Amino acid sequence: MIDSLFIVLESSLVSRWVRGEFDAATMVFPVVISLHAIGMGFLAGIACMINLRILGIAPAVPLARLAAFLPVAWLALFINLVSGLLLLIGYPTKALTNPVFYIKLLCIGVALWCLFWIRRNLLLNTSAVVTAYARRLAVIATILWTTAIVTGRLLAYTYSQLTSI
Amino acid sequence: MIDALTRWLESTWFSNWFLDNGQWTWPLAESLHFIGLTMLIGSIGLIDLRILGLGKGIRIVDVHALVKFTVAGFVLNLVTGSMFLTGQPDQYFLNRAFHFKLVFLALAGLNVLAFYGTTFRRLKQLGPHDEAPLAARLMAGLSLVCWIGVICAGRLLTFYRP
Repeated sequence: MIDSLFIVLESSLVSRWVRGEFDAATMVFPVVISLHAIGMGFLAGIACMINLRILGIAPAVPLARLAAFLPVAWLALFINLVSGLLLLIGYPTKALTNPVFYIKLLCIGVALWCLFWIRRNLLLNTSAVVTAYARRLAVIATILWTTAIVTGRLLAYTYSQLTSI
Repeated sequence: MIDALTRWLESTWFSNWFLDNGQWTWPLAESLHFIGLTMLIGSIGLIDLRILGLGKGIRIVDVHALVKFTVAGFVLNLVTGSMFLTGQPDQYFLNRAFHFKLVFLALAGLNVLAFYGTTFRRLKQLGPHDEAPLAARLMAGLSLVCWIGVICAGRLLTFYRP
């Protein structure tokens, strides 16, 4: 049942386009993973720098002013949602049959929730006080982004089946 | 000369050890390489974007305190990158994408030298709402372009293996 879904997906034009099966589009996959790496750097990078500021690094930077960099992080998030979705359409069997992929998604989901919490309660709140809870969240989010990066990298090594067709 | 260097690197104990244990050494070094990439882009990104005019209200010298993470990320990636190079030198020395990566790295390095040699002294005196001079903004833009170029060339390595 799931297998036939993988086969339908992998036979689709978009999937074959991502895998570079058309002569005019052999660079699609390299371009998509390059975009995914750039988005990773800016999204996880900016999020972790905000976390480090919460933890006391670069204390002279006013926390609320860091909100100005969030649009760059959201752009990076958008790039990675699109590029990630394309990679998933290209290789659904590879990702969805690998438990590591779900760990990666869970890490990103919770790390994003932490970033939204930090945005609402610390960056957009002019009378914000960095509580012990906020510091704990900053530590957890940094660990989650790191785990998302590592599990993402490990997807190239831990998959059991590349395609179903 | 490249041939001799390749053969010498391949003969080192580290190259053999790194390849013999490639099942875990390669994924581990790659994971660290991507963590270093994120540390570098996150920190230099905020510094460059502030110089370019985003995040007014932060003194440039204050956000520049993050540069230690740029240096740390760069050193981490220099070390892990050297591991890949020592492990499979022929895969890099003859690789078109690797040549581009070196060019972007060299450009980024020259840009850093120019930045600290010229405009940084003035940037340090700017207040939280001041605009950076044009030269500084050009260097910040070039910095972002170079590091994004380094990432792209690095990601393309796999597809240009000789």
